[in-house]
Amino acid sequence: MNQRDLELLSSYLDGQLSPSDSARLESRLSSDANLRAVMNDLREARSLLRRLPSRKAPRNFTLTRKMVGQNPPVPRAYPAFRFVTALAMLLLFFTFGLNFLAPQLGSQAPAYGQGGGGGNPEIFAAEAPATEAPAATEAPAAPSAELVPLPTATLSAEDSGRIAETPAEKNGLSEEPPVRDQAQGQNAAPFVPSVWQIILAGIVVIGSLLMLLMRQSAINRWRQKQ
Amino acid sequence: MNEQVLIHDAQAGSLDAFNALVLHYQDNVFNTALRILGDEDLAADATQEAFLSAFRSITSFRGGSFKAWLMRTVTNACYDELRRQKRRPSVPLEPETDDGEEMDSPRWLADPDMSPEQKAEADEVEHAIQHCLNNLPVEFKTVVVMADIQGMDYSEVAIAVRVPLGTIKSRLARARLRLRECLQGFSELLPATFRLEEGSSA
Repeated sequence: MNQRDLELLSSYLDGQLSPSDSARLESRLSSDANLRAVMNDLREARSLLRRLPSRKAPRNFTLTRKMVGQNPPVPRAYPAFRFVTALAMLLLFFTFGLNFLAPQLGSQAPAYGQGGGGGNPEIFAAEAPATEAPAATEAPAAPSAELVPLPTATLSAEDSGRIAETPAEKNGLSEEPPVRDQAQGQNAAPFVPSVWQIILAGIVVIGSLLMLLMRQSAINRWRQKQ
Repeated sequence: MNEQVLIHDAQAGSLDAFNALVLHYQDNVFNTALRILGDEDLAADATQEAFLSAFRSITSFRGGSFKAWLMRTVTNACYDELRRQKRRPSVPLEPETDDGEEMDSPRWLADPDMSPEQKAEADEVEHAIQHCLNNLPVEFKTVVVMADIQGMDYSEVAIAVRVPLGTIKSRLARARLRLRECLQGFSELLPATFRLEEGSSA
């Protein structure tokens, strides 16, 4: 039995042969017992499979919205609100971080610099030209400060303020005493004014509420439509 | 409701329309998966996966036989499952006899109108056929399940399996012959109503 005959017999059983091919095969079947036997085999197998009862599905396979990840369509402005709210939130955290870190960074400046500045970087920058002259005149003092850095942990805010004042006072350049007092540690003004933080917090709260309302209204509309 | 309307609505994103199609075809899809995989739980998983995949890609359906298109998704899900099994072979939960045959007696033929004797007979036949199907190469098995168990015509099977019509004919003929040979080994087990004619094979 060759493959071609096997295919012919199988197709014949399914009624897939053309009338002429069927007639030719029937003629061969009437004279070829071997061919008939194979056809009977195929017919039996086909018949058994077709008599196999169909099984009912054990449960319903319907899909839920969660399964297909279907979400209600949100308004077009929603992504813009999301972006602005997220940005405001980010900036708010950034301002908190900046206000927390700025005084600490500033308080380390006298130990490694020329003794000027104090806690506020703005004041430090403003003093820079004034401290250049004493630095030149007090050349022996400056290298010692650099070679043996003062242990900042042991210095109080007042000490560092006093060290900062020393060169300027010696040269009669202490023209900003009230500002220096402000710069002394704990009473320093925040790097980012709190009004900005309030504005940012407001944007975050209002943005979140609006997004919630938009989403809820979209879900309600979507449910009504379904 | 009209199938074309349901398909159109499902393509527009209506999950309810798609679920109506699921309810209509779930028995066919599940049976196909069951015969290809030979395990009810795996077949249920493959059926669910097939419907999920069908929903996601329903916009790619361009007309023709929706059943054939669905059968393609379930065939793919079954092939994925078989590949997974190949990578992670698992120990069957059913107890085995000394010669390694599983002792399960599939009760899932269950026609409530059957007498216990008829049910036992049907269970035997079912077991024998599934055993022989499991021994077929998966390409043969898929074709014979679709053509002979699902009653699909050759062109539908060709669409579902994505092979030429000539290949379908060839695979179907060879699958039937192999099944016949395998089932002869069960001839004593088969009840008279199902018994094959002895010695007819050439």
